[in-house]
Amino acid sequence: MNDQERPEGIEPDRAPEELSCEESLALVYEFLDGELPAERNEAIRRHVRMCRRCYPHFDFERIFLDYLHEAGSVAQANPDLERRIRSLIAEDDS
Amino acid sequence: MPARTRRTRTIEDRRREFETEALPHLQELFGLALRLTGGDESRSEDLVQDVMLRAWRSWDRFESGTNCRAWLMTILRNGFINSFRRDRSGPVKVEFEEIAEGHGSGSLYESDPEGRVFDQLVNEHVLRAIEELPDEFRVPVVLVDVEGMGYQEVADTMGIPVGTLKSRLFRGRKRLQVRLHRFAVELGYLP
Repeated sequence: MNDQERPEGIEPDRAPEELSCEESLALVYEFLDGELPAERNEAIRRHVRMCRRCYPHFDFERIFLDYLHEAGSVAQANPDLERRIRSLIAEDDS
Repeated sequence: MPARTRRTRTIEDRRREFETEALPHLQELFGLALRLTGGDESRSEDLVQDVMLRAWRSWDRFESGTNCRAWLMTILRNGFINSFRRDRSGPVKVEFEEIAEGHGSGSLYESDPEGRVFDQLVNEHVLRAIEELPDEFRVPVVLVDVEGMGYQEVADTMGIPVGTLKSRLFRGRKRLQVRLHRFAVELGYLP
């Protein structure tokens, strides 16, 4: 593999699937967001499964992102807003 | 009896359809607007009102039975992002700020690696933490984390490279963790 083909962050003398902890942790969000190519995704999955240092980091970030998604979706609009919109639409017909 | 075509529908038919299909998404639209504007209720109401009016005026182009929520959310996101981009034609200073973030000593991860504190902090805390983020970090966090959009779509919407989006998302999330950590300490959930 030449330098142009080599995925970013992989050292030349290692197979691409052998990621270090630093390389894996740098990609934690892309991994959890499902934004990595399949090969890199699988390499991280293998590393995290076997790594006592990385596993809790990944687990923590997964819990954090789940929490963010759940808690961030809650909001309540003022009931007047719907009334205003209905009246705007009615006026827009005339 | 054959269904009425778009051309033969009366204004009452259109309004009934709109009220049945579009108006039920008002709360979700308001929620997204509130997150995007950093908790500005008045601006969020204006945004939602504008989206609904635009949607109403384009209602003949909306295909009944397709995803109305997605259509409305797209109108809202695009409307917000267009104004966001207009307001920020200059360089983004926040990219170069030094901020405390990451997994270093004293971080939320170091204090609570199992994330138990997330069961104790209420929604209000995360909403406040999101609201306090600068726009450049808040918008990617809201679109990716709350809305579940992909990186490329958010980068295209915001008119920034994917690499910049990743960096802002990373830093926005780390800032949120710093803020949530502070809330947890203040409330006595963490030492």
